[in-house]
Amino acid sequence: MLIEYFPILLFILIGIGFGFVPMIAGKLVGPSKPDPEKLSPYECGFEAFEDTRMKFDVRYYLVAILFILFDLEIAFLFPWAIVLEEIGMFGFVAMMIFLGILVVGFIYEWKKGALDWE
Amino acid sequence: MNFPLPDFFPASAEIFVLVMACVVLLADLFKSERQGWLPYLLTLATLAGALAIQVGTAGADTTLTFSGMFVDDRLSDVLKSCLYITVFAVVVYSRDYLMARGLERGEYYLLVLFATLGMQVMISANHFLTLYLGLELLSLAIYALVALDRESARSTEAAMKYFVLGALASGLLLYGMSMIYGATGTLEISAIARKLSDPATNMDVLRFGLVFLVAGLAFKIGVVPFHMWIPDVYHGAPTAITLLIGSAPKLAGFSMAIRLLVDGLPTLAVEWQQMLMMLAVLSIALGNVVAIAQTNVKRMLAYSTISHMGFMLLGLVSGVIELRASGDIQLSYAFGSAMFYTIAYVLMSAAAFGVLLLLTRAGVEAETLDDLKGLNRRSPWFAAVLMMVMFSMAGIPFFIGFFAKLAVLQAVVAAGYLYTAVFAVMLSLIGAFFYLRVVKLMYFDEPLDTAPLVASSEMRALLSVNALAIAVIGLMPQSLLTLCATALGQAMK
Amino acid sequence: MDFQTAVFYFLSTILVVASLRVITARNPVHAALYLVLSFFTAGGVWMLLRAEFLAIALVLVYVGAVMVLFLFVVMMLDINIERLREGFWANLVPGLIVAGLMLAEMFAVLGAKYFSAGAAPAPEAPAMDYSNTKELGRLIYTEYVYPFELASVILLVAIIAAIALTMRKRKDTKFQEPAKQIAVRREDRVRLVSMPAEKE
Repeated sequence: MLIEYFPILLFILIGIGFGFVPMIAGKLVGPSKPDPEKLSPYECGFEAFEDTRMKFDVRYYLVAILFILFDLEIAFLFPWAIVLEEIGMFGFVAMMIFLGILVVGFIYEWKKGALDWE
Repeated sequence: MNFPLPDFFPASAEIFVLVMACVVLLADLFKSERQGWLPYLLTLATLAGALAIQVGTAGADTTLTFSGMFVDDRLSDVLKSCLYITVFAVVVYSRDYLMARGLERGEYYLLVLFATLGMQVMISANHFLTLYLGLELLSLAIYALVALDRESARSTEAAMKYFVLGALASGLLLYGMSMIYGATGTLEISAIARKLSDPATNMDVLRFGLVFLVAGLAFKIGVVPFHMWIPDVYHGAPTAITLLIGSAPKLAGFSMAIRLLVDGLPTLAVEWQQMLMMLAVLSIALGNVVAIAQTNVKRMLAYSTISHMGFMLLGLVSGVIELRASGDIQLSYAFGSAMFYTIAYVLMSAAAFGVLLLLTRAGVEAETLDDLKGLNRRSPWFAAVLMMVMFSMAGIPFFIGFFAKLAVLQAVVAAGYLYTAVFAVMLSLIGAFFYLRVVKLMYFDEPLDTAPLVASSEMRALLSVNALAIAVIGLMPQSLLTLCATALGQAMK
Repeated sequence: MDFQTAVFYFLSTILVVASLRVITARNPVHAALYLVLSFFTAGGVWMLLRAEFLAIALVLVYVGAVMVLFLFVVMMLDINIERLREGFWANLVPGLIVAGLMLAEMFAVLGAKYFSAGAAPAPEAPAMDYSNTKELGRLIYTEYVYPFELASVILLVAIIAAIALTMRKRKDTKFQEPAKQIAVRREDRVRLVSMPAEKE
């Protein structure tokens, strides 16, 4: 069974190689003469007025949390989908109850406006 | 494949609470502005209905269902009935406080109902997995409840501390559970107990897992040296939430201790009783001594909680588990005394925080000892109520606290730990100081805030019933004591 | 040393190094990225143990969702890393002593006596059509249906808690809701009050 995952391992190793080799090649071959002028940020010739960071909006956090919860729901759906014919009606109803409870949560977040961006 | 349908009847109360929690959620979403009382009444109806179902489905024998993960025995029936009554009282007491602070949202009722569901699952757990899932359900709901007051930095800080430490303790508990699984090959509590008598099981790994299990359990109950979160969380959370976390989860914590240690690992009793003895003695000492220095009533009650939980553990320590020739396990009376102590403590704690809630109104927090001054002038009856609660907590005859302490101390002496009993009594005497100080402030000092008490009539009525229960059960403790003893005395097969 | 053992050592080394870098990295975003690396390698180790569903779920859920959330939070909190690291070297020594003690005790109990390759032999290799996911599926929805439904309740509580604690309405945006505009009823806008006629 593990032999089926060998191509993935190969893929990962080649991916790591793809990432590292150009970086190392660049470090070895390219010139490196840093200078304060060269390293400072460019803002159309002026000095920077203020810090570039913005106040992070908490709405992104709420969206990410809701994504995690429904991602976990999907993770539970995967094994169910492949054994459905074996677990029969009982397994079907069990999953429907699971989905039903999460649909109640979905109605809640919809009505509360957590899914509205503005 | 044809899977046999599990028996849903013993779990009817859990299914009812779950369905009603979804109903409350939908009702809260679709209610109109004028129906603000709807989630409140539905929650109370849910708890009352769950109590009715629990009492109605209570049988005399032990039933296992859901592939051996759910146990319905006398212990779970008694504890769950106390749970519903306690949460009912919590919801009634909290309503005015929350309304005055704009916290009376549908989310409060939902999280309380889910916390109740988590506690129900913990009390009926016969499998490590369900015990852990019930614990996490309870903890998650309570983390959110402690942080419910978003504008208060203190509440948010308390929630953060509770969450981080609680997650760590859950990790310790899981590690211990995985070690025990590795040694016995099963997660089902009754199967683990059977495996222990099999000589092939690896006792060293079991003991190793036991240490982590006791560490996680000690955190959740709140005993030294895992008590750090209790004063900060009790102080920082809104008083209504402190009422919830100071009362009902102790029932679930007691049940967790019984299921994990007494039901699950009876042959390791020598080891875990030694561990619990140390925890109990340290807790009684630290809780009673540090509470004297507190000026904030919530912190003072938090430290007194630590000492009370130490006493409860003393009851577990002195129990003797005999393996009879028939293979049954017979528990001694001491475990019943620990259960009685837990129920008595929950009653007293609910009443104490209830009186604190009574004293608060919009914009006024009643937290420090100064706020209790002269309570007798403002309301003689509720000063008497708080006096009864304080006397009961101090162990003064003839309230329920006295009989609880007496039962535990009788068990401790019967097990042969005479010095421990003397130590516990001495520290309780030292600790009685801060309870009596409250009584002195109420009766002999001038009130700083002379405004009359503002509280709804149902809260006053329920609080009075609560206090009377403390007094009356104290006069006739036998029935509750025997109930606890028989609930635990069921021989395990 | 066969190929599987070599892969195991490769992945474990990266896992340990990445975990160490999580706690020692100066920049919190770097620490979060090292955590992502350690999750990937842990997933690889689980795959070697033939827990394929768990390995994939680890990557999908942990790296795909939880680490994204971590990074959002790290970006959201403007962490002044210098102030946080202040007591690092002073506290390192007692921390190392306590950790070392715990580790020594754990080794003493869990040492080679019980967990060596001889005491715990590897399970036999399963058949070619063995599907870890199917085996899990056969059990979760039948025998373990009670914990499964409890998991859904925990997810529901998480939804409620997240919305109760973090949802804030932006106060400065104004917008129209046509559905509400059309659904308005006469009773919401007009109220007839009966008053006695006034003279003069």
